[in-house]
Amino acid sequence: MKNYRSRVFIGILALVVAIGIAQMKNALAADTIKFGFIGDATGTGAELYRGQKQGLDWFFEEANASGGIFGKKLELIVRDAKLKADVGAALARELILDQKVDFLLGGISSAVCLAVSNVAKEFKKPYMIQSTNTSTLVEEAFHKYVAQGQPNTNMLGRGLGYFVGKSGFKSTAYIGNDYTFGHTLWKSYSDYLKKNAPHVELKKSFWAKQGEDDFTPFIQPLMAQNADIVYCTLWGGQLPAFIKQATPYGFFKKSKMATLFDLIVLIGSGTDMPEGLLGYSVAPFYAIPTPEMKVFNEKFYKKYNEWPSDYVILSYDNMKGLTEAIKKAGSTDPDRVMKAIEGLRFVGLRGPMYYRPEDHLSSAGLYMGYTAADPKYPFRILKDVTYVPGEAVWTPVEDLKQLQPKK
Amino acid sequence: MGIEFFFMMFVNGLSQGMGIFIVASGLSLVFGTLRVINFAHGSFYMIGAYIAVSLSTLLGTGSLFSFLLLMVLAPPAIALLGLSLEISLFRRIYGKEHLLQLLLTYALLLFLDDTCRLIWGGRYLGVSRPVILAGSIDFLGHSLPTYNIFILGMGALIALGLWLLLYRSRSGNFIRAATSNPRMLGALGVNVSKVRTGAFVMGAWLAGLGGVFMAGLGTINLGMGVDKIIECFAVVIIGGLGSIGGALLGSLIIGVGLTLIQLPFGKLAVVFPYIAMALILIIRPWGLFGKTER
Repeated sequence: MKNYRSRVFIGILALVVAIGIAQMKNALAADTIKFGFIGDATGTGAELYRGQKQGLDWFFEEANASGGIFGKKLELIVRDAKLKADVGAALARELILDQKVDFLLGGISSAVCLAVSNVAKEFKKPYMIQSTNTSTLVEEAFHKYVAQGQPNTNMLGRGLGYFVGKSGFKSTAYIGNDYTFGHTLWKSYSDYLKKNAPHVELKKSFWAKQGEDDFTPFIQPLMAQNADIVYCTLWGGQLPAFIKQATPYGFFKKSKMATLFDLIVLIGSGTDMPEGLLGYSVAPFYAIPTPEMKVFNEKFYKKYNEWPSDYVILSYDNMKGLTEAIKKAGSTDPDRVMKAIEGLRFVGLRGPMYYRPEDHLSSAGLYMGYTAADPKYPFRILKDVTYVPGEAVWTPVEDLKQLQPKK
Repeated sequence: MGIEFFFMMFVNGLSQGMGIFIVASGLSLVFGTLRVINFAHGSFYMIGAYIAVSLSTLLGTGSLFSFLLLMVLAPPAIALLGLSLEISLFRRIYGKEHLLQLLLTYALLLFLDDTCRLIWGGRYLGVSRPVILAGSIDFLGHSLPTYNIFILGMGALIALGLWLLLYRSRSGNFIRAATSNPRMLGALGVNVSKVRTGAFVMGAWLAGLGGVFMAGLGTINLGMGVDKIIECFAVVIIGGLGSIGGALLGSLIIGVGLTLIQLPFGKLAVVFPYIAMALILIIRPWGLFGKTER
């Protein structure tokens, strides 16, 4: 009998303690604004994820050091979607339903972001796309709770198309990944050329699976196109691999190549990267002329002994935009915040920018240039850089209305 | 595009196929001998590549000698890893249902992936090719990378070595006997457990060697093991379980097929290995060189 009473007493005590802890957690949670970051820490996107996390950690540390927002600390909860769309969607639900996050932040994979965006729409949770470029997110799959903070695939393809069209190239071919990112880039690039530079002949396009590591089957057929310039949209570890494998075939003696040259690719290729390749970057630390970027570069290098990648800068700027929207809304209410984002102007590391009301797309542009050696760095950088504003290449509003779901 | 162009494409395809064969042969050996679906075989390949990168920072790069040293030193490290896993984990699942094997080995793959991330981080790494293998030769008016010829040659040597081992050596006789009738082999006084361990360790060694070659071919990154294991499974199914000759033919079919399909049907390239696999499963489910299960 005595044993029974003890057990009941211990059970009740445990229950009281558990409830107390839960209440304490809720009390703490009420003092924080929660951001759920669904990144892609595993696989070919791992290094990009590292940059995003660095940018987010930097912003959160800065923001919390200056008191947070409305006196509340900002809390970051991180998940790994492993580049898998179904995993990303499940994690989004878990973050919303179990962790009770106020906002969702995007990773790298277009497929994951599209899946998470659907969940964000279902639960009316604001979703800030930090690095993923696919234009589908703010066009065919647009909804009021999504925003995109960097040039998307339509803008990148058009931007390059503009340069190729006016640079004297007579023919072009393409190699990319066989999923939405690769296809939207090819479409925007080729559509732009067909309409604005019909003198540029469009040759064949080649499609590698995501995660492909051996490009032997592609290189010779690509060279056989005899294109003046090849648009290559392979990314992450695939691009340095392609460059390493294509070089002994004499690929770069035959054709120019144009691609995204983020810092990860530039460092990964090192001095193996040929000079004189045309390309673009969305946030090159060495070419952004703002005083904020200069200060950030010095502090970041001092702390990490490395330069900030494009993904660090994009994550930081996206958080800046989101938190400005929260402050403008005066609340974390999703509808009020997303309303506040429309037309919101703020200054990030990349300088002044705003979110277009029709698609919540940032006006930040892209930086076009040519790879070149620089004695300050052990890797190539882009030189003769031209900034292409977002407004010059984003989808016109009248076209946007045709693409977006009807309300 | 003349005949020499297509011949060059064929040679490129052979080279790619050999790269796949080196890893797939290990999987075929393990699958055939132990009847274990080992998803972690892809991790052995990935870890072999990472170890090659780490060793190259100590040994230096640029010389053929240092690259050959990587080939000598990295695979035994993977073989040792394979040995420890075989003794501690795999022995417990021999003869168990395939779903259990799949779950365990997939969990092991995820564990090893995350371990690699903790050790090497997420950066894209690689090994510089030796200077003598970094260029190309002019062949029929086209450039053929020397490194691709090297992989082709190494693959052929490995195929020959495996044939000699399996069909011209006592150990090979035991491995083949353990595949067809382990009880009879045990009854003859042979330690079947040691034979199985030997086959598993050899499979891991081959995967590690494949990883070393990959480190020189391109860049290595987390998750590359998963992509490779799916390709290897396709090869094993096409070639037949436990057949090294089948693994060789299956690898070459995939390598050459992927290359030749680019021009006429480039958009089908992604699904080509799986179409080939599906056709084999329909027409000849035991694979090209496999034996029907009794």
